[in-house]
Amino acid sequence: MTITWNDSVPIYRQLRERVVAMILDGALNEGDPLPSVRQVAADFQINPLTVSKAYQELVDDQLVEKRRGLGMFVIDGAREALLKSERERFLREEWPALFARLQRLGLDLKTLLREGPDSTGNEGSQS
Amino acid sequence: MNAVVTATGLSKTYKNSIALNDVSFRIESGRIVGLIGPNGAGKTTALKAILGLTDFKGELNVLGFDPRTQRDQLMEQVCFIADVAVLPRWIRVREAIDFVANVHPRFNRAKCEAFLARTKLTPNQRVKQMSKGMIVQLHLALVMAIDARLLVLDEPTLGLDILYRKQFYQSLLEDYFDENKTIIVTTHQVEEIENILTDLMFIRDGRIVLDTDMDTVGERFVEVMVSAEKAATARSMRPLDERQVFGKSIFLFDGADRATLESMGEVRRPTVSDLFVATMKGTYA
Repeated sequence: MTITWNDSVPIYRQLRERVVAMILDGALNEGDPLPSVRQVAADFQINPLTVSKAYQELVDDQLVEKRRGLGMFVIDGAREALLKSERERFLREEWPALFARLQRLGLDLKTLLREGPDSTGNEGSQS
Repeated sequence: MNAVVTATGLSKTYKNSIALNDVSFRIESGRIVGLIGPNGAGKTTALKAILGLTDFKGELNVLGFDPRTQRDQLMEQVCFIADVAVLPRWIRVREAIDFVANVHPRFNRAKCEAFLARTKLTPNQRVKQMSKGMIVQLHLALVMAIDARLLVLDEPTLGLDILYRKQFYQSLLEDYFDENKTIIVTTHQVEEIENILTDLMFIRDGRIVLDTDMDTVGERFVEVMVSAEKAATARSMRPLDERQVFGKSIFLFDGADRATLESMGEVRRPTVSDLFVATMKGTYA
């Protein structure tokens, strides 16, 4: 498998984010095993220490747990915990910026929500 | 930590050139070390010294042995793949396996055969009927089945296409490497292995000019892209290198304050190739 890593963020962080995204998307369910360090290292052609570091962060964040002799597993409640922290992060960091941008562009949130992602945003806005 | 290789004041002079000039370094167990340098910098000489294939001045300890006087004991623990194919052209796959099984006490035949089963090689095939990539597959199968503590790779993927190159490193990571093993690799295709490495050594004109682990590389070296008006400020901070892209200047710094750099423009970690080019400037001039 080939993936392009971003040079401004350490690879172990990017790997962690991928696992987090997979848990949020349901590609990894609670109780599912994570692929082994060796497997990920070989597939992505990265050092095993990098993979271990990413996994250790997930353990520290209480999203996965190490089961002796079996490997890493997604903890029960990991998705809920992630959703909670991601929602909080969205409201704290992204929403204020998004809100400011909608206002600057004169877009009406109610119209956008009613019309969904294909909305032209015209109705109800003062053009 | 456990040192696998310790070199102190290593020097080697050929008739009229210095290949290694008072080189000292240490390689720990469980690392994957990239020894990177331009042609003629001394890479192969350093590897030959480690393998006991050449005489040298200075001190060298490999897995507790002196490669000059204890080569037999050392060779039980060390494996080697060189850019020069060493498998005889007439040998068949099964003969090569028999040979290694007879001479190497730590060879695991089942492991070798399991690895070969995943390739297109057949037991009766001769080396002369194989492509370069297939020969390397056979060589790798023989080597990976040996439970050695140190694996030395000198341009192992030279001349292979990208599929064989990827497969080569993938096999090493999947079936060979663990925290008790150590790999030293030289290659010119740095970008393909930079994420695999734990440590980086640059060698130039017989001297080690950079010797650091990859985490430190990310902390020490920073590239910053600045617009024209800030270029003079950046230049005054003594960058290692400067290049121009799309009307902006990219500066490479060693150990500069990250916060200062972030205030000047977009920062990123340089690739090993960028670092290499900057470090080796003027080598062929």
